[in-house]
Amino acid sequence: MKMNSLITTARLSWHVAVRNWVVYRKDFIANISPTLADPALVLASLGVGLSPFIGHIGGRTYAEFLAPGMVATTALFTAFFECSYGFYIRMTFESVFKAMLTTAIGVPDIVIGEFIWVAIRAGLMATGSGLVLLALGLVPNLWACLLFPFIGGLLALPCGAIGLLSASLVRNINQFQTVYSFVIAPIYYLSGVFFPLTGLSWLSVLVQFSPFYHGVRLLQMSSWGEWNWVEGLSHLAALLAFTIALGWLSFLQVRRKLIL
Amino acid sequence: MTETATRVIEAQGLMKSFGSLDALRGCDLEVTAGECVGLLGPNGAGKSTFIGCLYGTVAPTGGELRVFGLDPKREPRAVKARIGIVPQENALDEELTVLENMRLYARFVGLPRGMATERIEQLLAHMALDHKRDAPIRSLSGGMKRRLAFVRALLVNPELLILDEPTTGLDPTVRHLIWERVLGYRQEGKTVLVTTHYMHEAELLCNRIVILDAGRVMAMGSPQELIQQYAPGFVGYFPAETEIRLRPNLPPGTATFEQGRQFCVRAPRFEDLTELQRVTNVSAVQLRPASLEDVYLKLTGHGLDENE
Repeated sequence: MKMNSLITTARLSWHVAVRNWVVYRKDFIANISPTLADPALVLASLGVGLSPFIGHIGGRTYAEFLAPGMVATTALFTAFFECSYGFYIRMTFESVFKAMLTTAIGVPDIVIGEFIWVAIRAGLMATGSGLVLLALGLVPNLWACLLFPFIGGLLALPCGAIGLLSASLVRNINQFQTVYSFVIAPIYYLSGVFFPLTGLSWLSVLVQFSPFYHGVRLLQMSSWGEWNWVEGLSHLAALLAFTIALGWLSFLQVRRKLIL
Repeated sequence: MTETATRVIEAQGLMKSFGSLDALRGCDLEVTAGECVGLLGPNGAGKSTFIGCLYGTVAPTGGELRVFGLDPKREPRAVKARIGIVPQENALDEELTVLENMRLYARFVGLPRGMATERIEQLLAHMALDHKRDAPIRSLSGGMKRRLAFVRALLVNPELLILDEPTTGLDPTVRHLIWERVLGYRQEGKTVLVTTHYMHEAELLCNRIVILDAGRVMAMGSPQELIQQYAPGFVGYFPAETEIRLRPNLPPGTATFEQGRQFCVRAPRFEDLTELQRVTNVSAVQLRPASLEDVYLKLTGHGLDENE
C-alpha cells in the first residue's frame, strides 16, 4: 500500500516534469539562450578583459579561476528563475496546477516534479556551459565534465527551493526583483566565484550558509583537478542538508498556496 | 454496501473558514448516484469552496465529508480517480496543441498510451473538436476551449462529473451543445454536480436544486417543488408608473417586487393577473409562470420588496 503510493508519486512527479519539458521545448532557443549568455558575458568581460590586470590566482589565470564558477552560475540562474518566475507564472497566470490538481496529481507530486525538472534542466545547462569552457581550454581536468551534470543538478535543488519559497511568498511578480537583489545577487557575488575566500575570515564563515558556495567549491575542485575527499564530502553533505531543509520548507509554503 | 454505495456525496455540517471569513458554515448535502444536482447561490455563497472540498483542494475546517464513502482529504487520489472536473477556469496550456494537451492529461490520469489515443479521438469527436486536434490552444475560441475542458474531464470516464459554471460566457450554440451532452451523461447514469448562475440551465439539467447562501443550504428540492414552496403562481410585469393604480387592487395572496425598473406582481392564479388588468385598465408588459429565478431572488434576498 505504502510502496504503491510511493511508486505513484514517482510516476506522477515525472509527468509533472515531462509537462514542463513539453512546454519548454516549444520555444527552445529563446529559453536556453539567457542562461548561457549571462556567464558567457561575465567570462568575456571579466575573464578576458580583466585577466591581464590581475595576474594569477593560485597559479591560474583569472579566466581559469572564473570558469568553474560560471558552470555553477548557469545552474544557479536556471534553477532560481525557473522556480521563481517560472513557477509563479504556472501557478497564477496559467493556472497549470489548478488543472493538474483535478487529476490524480497532488501537491507533493507537483513539488517533486518541479525539483526533478529543475535538476535535469540545470544539470544539462551546466554541462553545456562546461563544454564551452572546455573548448576554450579553461577546464584543465577533462574528467570533470562527467561530474558537471550531477553537481549542477544537485546545486539546482536548494537554489530551486529558494525560488519556490519566494514564488509562494511574493505578493506579485515584481517582488522577485527584491528577492534577486537581496538573496540571489549576494549569493552569486560573494560565494567565491569571483575571488578566493581564503584570508577573508568573516566572509568564509558567512558563506557556509550559501548552498551556492558548496556547489561552486565542488565544481572548482573537480575542474581544477584538486579533489580533496574531506572537503568534497563536506560540501556534498551541506548541499544535501540545504536541499532537504529548503525543499521541505518550500513544500509547506507551496501547499499553503495550492490547498486552501 | 447498498445504502452507502449509492451515496456519492455526503456532507454533514461542513465548515470552512479563511481566517475570519466563514465560507462554509455548516453545509449539509447529500447526492445519490445518477442525480444531477444544481448548486445555486450568489457569488461568495460557498459553491466553489464546497466543490474544492470534494476533490481536496480545499481543506474543510469542520464537519464531515465523504465522496464515494472516502475522505477526500485523506485519500484524494482514490477519490479523484472517479471524478471528472470542469473547473471555472479552463487552465489549458496555451502554447500546446489540442492533442499535446490531452496526451499530457491522459498521462496524469494514468491512461495507457494506446488507450489514451483512442479515448482522446473519441472524446474530441464527441465534443465536435476533432478538426482542431493539431491547433494550438491559443488559437481556439472560448467555446472550443470550454469543450476541450470537458474532454479533459471525461478522460477518466468519471462516475461523478463536477461542472463549475460550465457555460458562463458562451454563445447559445455552444451552450446548447453542452446541455445536450450533459443530459446524455445523466442518461448514462453518471452523477452530475453543476454550479451555475443561469436558472434556466439549472431547471433544464437538474433533477434537484440546492440553493446556497452565506455558506449554508437555504433550500433544496426539485425545481417544481421549490417553485411550489417559495414562489408559486404567475408573474406579471407592469410599467413602473402604474404601481400607484395597481396597488389598491391587488388580489389576496400576491407578492410584489421591482425588477428591471418594472413593477412586478406574483399572484397564485393566472386569472388573478388578467382580472387585475381588467379592473385597473393597465396592460402588463409580460405575463409568465413563476420560475426558479423567482425562488432564487426571493431566497437570496435580492430585488425583494419588504411587504413579502
